[in-house]
Amino acid sequence: MPVPPKYAKPSKAVAAGRRRFLTGTGAAAALALSGGLAGVATADGRARGRERRDPFTLGVASGDPLPDGVVLWTRLAPEPLEPYGGMPRSAVQVEWQVAEDERFRRVVRAGSATARPEYSHTVHVDVRGLRPWRHYHYRFRVGGQLSPVGRTRTAPSPGTEVPALDLAFASCQNWTAGFYPAHGDLAARDHDVVFFLGDYIYENPIPVDGGARGQQVPAEVGVDCVTLDDYRLRYALYKQDPDLKAAHAAAPWVVTLDDHEVENDWAPRDSAEWVVRQANAFRAYWEHMPLRWDRLPQGPDLPLYRRLAFGRLAEFSVLDTRQYRSHADGGWRAPDADTLDPARTLIGQAQERWILDGLGASSARWNVLAQQVLMMPTDAAAGAAQSVAMGTWSGYSASRDRVLGGLHERGVDNLVVLTGDVHANFAGDLRRDFGDPSSPVVGSELVCTSISSDGDGADADDWTRTILAENPHVAYANHERGYVSCRITPREWTAHYRVADTVTRRDAAVRTRKSLVIGNGVAGIRD
Amino acid sequence: MTTMHRRTKVLAGAGAAALLVTSLAGAAFAGEWGGRGGGPGHHSVVALSAPGRVAAAPPLPCLSSSFGVGLTNTSDEPVFADLDLAVEAPLSLSRRVLSTYLPAADAGYTAGAEVEVRMPRDTAPGSYLATLSLDGEPAQRITVEVAPLPERGPDANLALGEQAYASSTHSNVRLCGGVDGNTDSAQWGASGTHDATSGVFPDTYGVNLAESATVGRVELYTLDSARYPAARMGLRDVDIQVHTAEGWRTVEEVRGNEAGHITAAFAPVLADRVQVVTYDSNDHKYSRIVELEVYAS
Repeated sequence: MPVPPKYAKPSKAVAAGRRRFLTGTGAAAALALSGGLAGVATADGRARGRERRDPFTLGVASGDPLPDGVVLWTRLAPEPLEPYGGMPRSAVQVEWQVAEDERFRRVVRAGSATARPEYSHTVHVDVRGLRPWRHYHYRFRVGGQLSPVGRTRTAPSPGTEVPALDLAFASCQNWTAGFYPAHGDLAARDHDVVFFLGDYIYENPIPVDGGARGQQVPAEVGVDCVTLDDYRLRYALYKQDPDLKAAHAAAPWVVTLDDHEVENDWAPRDSAEWVVRQANAFRAYWEHMPLRWDRLPQGPDLPLYRRLAFGRLAEFSVLDTRQYRSHADGGWRAPDADTLDPARTLIGQAQERWILDGLGASSARWNVLAQQVLMMPTDAAAGAAQSVAMGTWSGYSASRDRVLGGLHERGVDNLVVLTGDVHANFAGDLRRDFGDPSSPVVGSELVCTSISSDGDGADADDWTRTILAENPHVAYANHERGYVSCRITPREWTAHYRVADTVTRRDAAVRTRKSLVIGNGVAGIRD
Repeated sequence: MTTMHRRTKVLAGAGAAALLVTSLAGAAFAGEWGGRGGGPGHHSVVALSAPGRVAAAPPLPCLSSSFGVGLTNTSDEPVFADLDLAVEAPLSLSRRVLSTYLPAADAGYTAGAEVEVRMPRDTAPGSYLATLSLDGEPAQRITVEVAPLPERGPDANLALGEQAYASSTHSNVRLCGGVDGNTDSAQWGASGTHDATSGVFPDTYGVNLAESATVGRVELYTLDSARYPAARMGLRDVDIQVHTAEGWRTVEEVRGNEAGHITAAFAPVLADRVQVVTYDSNDHKYSRIVELEVYAS
């Protein structure tokens, strides 16, 4: 028999936000604009004939900020671990509001979106007409029920000077491996934007006892995700996590995917089974991410790589290193003729050109690639032997040479590459030729560890010590769980490596393990 | 048996919704929000393949029954399809929904799934109706015929189909493979079982009897085929134990075994569990059990 669904209670902050809204006089006035006050007035659940189950169990989110807009997301799922989230096969109108204040006294945009069953009753509202570089608050309403309030921020106007940008980047949140104290910390700090670099879900079977979480889960998640309902259920499980919901509600996210959103390391893309699995995975990914409609996958094709700018301060090229790569196995070994083969590519010719053309024309102070896999080699074999990860740029060194060489030739300033995937913190210099310590530094790479994947780690271990010893371009290594919080100014980029004491407890402390600085126009990373 | 399911326009009828068993939980939402149309918007033709009749095993915890379903797109455009599966209580299914992308017909692709039928021990023998709906419309009925519990006469194998347990189970085999009534080592992969801890002993494999019963004989079959002889792959050092009101009692100690079949006969006792503790196997890796049988005498 299926285990009854478990519900994550809303976090205290979210619950408090909702109470505040329900009692605020400004709130009532705002609601009057769109009617339906009867359902709201009795928040105790006794309203006549009204649906009283909370449909917003998976929280709210915003993403891909533009100077005039942001995309707002939610999903109606009153019973998130039941088929279709407990929703019927009919479309539902969802009202939304965007306000300048968290009490919704100054609502600046409002409207209605259709949550359709074929998209798991998710909504993706592309709100426009907002003012640049402003904080906004948003919420949804359906029937008489209000969503938690989310906070977001638009991007600055093109060409404007921006004194500072606070961003976080993170990756790899295996639910089974532990809790998300890093997300709780990420939500509590004031970030203008969050980049999530992939492995948002893991497709592998989850044990009935929930693994490290010790939470009973339905037998239906004890499978490898293959079908669309399998992937949808996995997102529904992950997105009930209160710290993940808080992180989404705190700032706009810019997401890209890595392998586990479909399958570890991805199979060669030549079977019908794979095409169907990928189409199912991509559909569920788009449904559950704050992505615009122009990113809706067409079967097994998901248009994901894109560019976002923050005034003159920074331009972010968000890459897709999975869909267009020549196949490789996922192991670690020495580079060979295959990895050097110029016909092989990690990102496809079109994306390579798009990077070089875009960054070549950029006038931003910081030029950022937000992407998945290690760009610099991290040789993990002591001595003369070499062992690098074949699934990273080191398995496609000709592709890396074309990108780094092309950016160097074009004189791209202040190149910073943000990376996830490897479940370890690193920082290092991107050299034109990693085999030659005297070759020019063309950029910096900052690598975030996992939010939870692999469970608790260590500040240093044999693996990180070997990598530091073997790779002179690697300036920092750490093997704990966490994320990276950055402050970017025209003068310098400061990266704070935030690590959790443990992921065995939801309330574990998170602290800065290391802070590193990249100076404007200065090659290399310093303490 | 194949049912063609044609859908040319969005259907929002209340009758279809009522038949969609899996969305009954959402009925309150439908009442509040329904009737706005919208529907799934599939303008596709999807073929469903499923059996019309499933002969299910008796309702014992370690005997399982399943049936296959398949979805095939017969149109020129790729589509997504939702198959909902429901069955009359007290039966339940391992999968209540199968939603999937289906490439266009020229791909010749069928999305298939194996659906396990589960039922409690007190399920009455007889016919139970399973209902399959495709994109919200009833598509096929399956008659699940549940066999009666086996007669438990004085010669009955009391372990057959009862709940097995193990210190660990390798992902290539099934926990229940050692109490499924199949003693044939040639069908080892599908019908046997072993631990997940290569080279680590002891390993425990046992069965909870339905109720306390007189136990006087245990028959233990280990892997012994032409390809995998017991002398090379079978259990070597084992204790056979029964659980009585006083606790565990070892009724047989076997050391250096190289045979495929071990019999332990002992003075009958009242027991509610029987288990095999393996201290070594002949390849010193896994504890391979084809079948564990328990008799009164």
